[in-house]
Amino acid sequence: MYGQVRIEKLSKTYQTRQRKGLFKSEAKAIEALTGISFEIKPGEVFGLLGPNGAGKTTLIKCLTTLLLPTSGRAWINGFELAKEDNSIRATVGCMLMGERGLYWKLTGRENLVFFGALYHLSPAARRRRADEIIARLDLGELADRAVETYSSGQKMKLAFAKALINDAPLLILDEPTNTLDLPSARELRAVVRELNQQGKTVIYTTHIMSEAETMCDRVAIIDRGEVLALGTVPELKASMNREAVIRIEGVISTQASQAVEALPGVTRAATAAVNGHTQLTVMAQDDQMTLLPRLIETLTAHHAVVQKITPEEVTLEDVFIARTGRTLADDTRVK
Amino acid sequence: MTTSTIGRPTFRQTLSAALAETRMRMINISRYPGQLMLEIIIPIVFAAMPILLGRANGADAAANFKANTGTANYVAFLLIGANAFTLVSNAFWHIAYWLRFEQETGTLESVYLTPTSSVTLASGVALYSIVRGLTAAFLAFFLGCLIFRVNPFEGDVWLALAFILAGLIPLYGVALLFGAVVLKVKESNAIVGLMQWAVGFLMGLFYPVAVLPPLVRWAALLFPPTWMTNGVRSALLGVGFFFGEWYLDMAVLWVFMLFAPLFGFWVFNRVERGIQRNEGVGQF
Repeated sequence: MYGQVRIEKLSKTYQTRQRKGLFKSEAKAIEALTGISFEIKPGEVFGLLGPNGAGKTTLIKCLTTLLLPTSGRAWINGFELAKEDNSIRATVGCMLMGERGLYWKLTGRENLVFFGALYHLSPAARRRRADEIIARLDLGELADRAVETYSSGQKMKLAFAKALINDAPLLILDEPTNTLDLPSARELRAVVRELNQQGKTVIYTTHIMSEAETMCDRVAIIDRGEVLALGTVPELKASMNREAVIRIEGVISTQASQAVEALPGVTRAATAAVNGHTQLTVMAQDDQMTLLPRLIETLTAHHAVVQKITPEEVTLEDVFIARTGRTLADDTRVK
Repeated sequence: MTTSTIGRPTFRQTLSAALAETRMRMINISRYPGQLMLEIIIPIVFAAMPILLGRANGADAAANFKANTGTANYVAFLLIGANAFTLVSNAFWHIAYWLRFEQETGTLESVYLTPTSSVTLASGVALYSIVRGLTAAFLAFFLGCLIFRVNPFEGDVWLALAFILAGLIPLYGVALLFGAVVLKVKESNAIVGLMQWAVGFLMGLFYPVAVLPPLVRWAALLFPPTWMTNGVRSALLGVGFFFGEWYLDMAVLWVFMLFAPLFGFWVFNRVERGIQRNEGVGQF
């Protein structure tokens, strides 16, 4: 089915040689993927998170047919990996190597038209498609200049444009907002959301946690070739068993505070005097979204005046650190 | 859902992709005009050195040359050799360096992500290389003849052209073999540099292959450029075909034309598949 990805026990072992001296080396096997299995549903934005060397790029290269897996099977858009590779390539749009995947002596438009030809679009269709993408991504000024004159961010934008040339049902984007300034990154994310709303499935890798939280329907955390966690962002956060913490400032009576503590799911509610008003700190097992409306309703019913609410949420970074023991900045590559 | 073709592309689509590759490379090289000028000048300068050496030997040079090669026109003989060598060098460099350069710049992975096969891409690069190489070779030959005052239309020009075209196709098959080596070894400069000079030596760059030692002469006859160069010289200057008649030498080139590209593609595909199993084709 278009837009669906199914992976069954996919493994990849690299055979390499490690230098032991000037003329000596010994064979070494590096397991980059160890029996990964999961499914991506059509129409979802699926995030891949992991530190350097976790296996994200290896997984993506296997799915895009650049690399043959050592074992296991996968189906991309209904086509089986290693058996129907041409059909996979025709139905996937990729942005993998950022600005490095472009011909710098050609203009942006020439790059798009050339890649359109490699996707077997007719001459008229590739020109039309290039025009559409240039207009959509606001590349008008740049399109007819040589890529070597572009800034890093502009090259990334063109690389993203290249991924759209074949209007594929599945997009694989490897850190697409890397080197983009904030407005351009925001714009690109908006385009990705729009494409997703049109029905495209997106596999999105990023180091930026906030991006994963806002963009992705589901996230897989990969480390050392294994999927350590997979689920929606709320599910992953809930799996932490860490209490949600909300601080509320205002005029809050003792009765209001006790009523809050009696709410189902609230483990603790403590008050303190801060700057002439009361600060109520509430700790609960429930997540923010379900707790907050009940808190406000209860406080209002007991005539409290709420001036400020400060939630302290479990973040995806917390989930990541808890699962891997490392931050995203740590390098997991085999030494 | 997708504007791309799913499954096997039609012949027209494959041809269109190959021509797009050719066109893209033409556009690319047109932005390096100095490089194009050099390709016309270098064969002339290259041939000029032995030509001037011959001139320094006086009137005897032509007579001696005729006694050993069958033609007194050593100027045209050397210009043909220099330009044939340029065609051979271009074939190796354009194919092998195409792979290496694209690995370094990251564009090889980009093109491998598309449904166009590497055979189609290589065909597009080969066509570009043939057009670029032939244009430079013809311009260099005519300019060289003008400078050194020899008649470029002496002999059977159409037969010479036929030998060039018949020699180019197997040449690119051989070049693809070295492309496979570049993919695997990832060191293009040394390999291509070595091979272009080895082939140049064997094909009789500035001398007839008859002067080579017997074993080396047999090795030389295994290379299509040797037959191509001798065919052009025989057509234009009457130096003599290897088998005595033009159609027999042409038949040998046709056999090369049939097998060399097939063998080159087969080796290339096997190496490519092997690399895909390990580090991935675009990996530098």
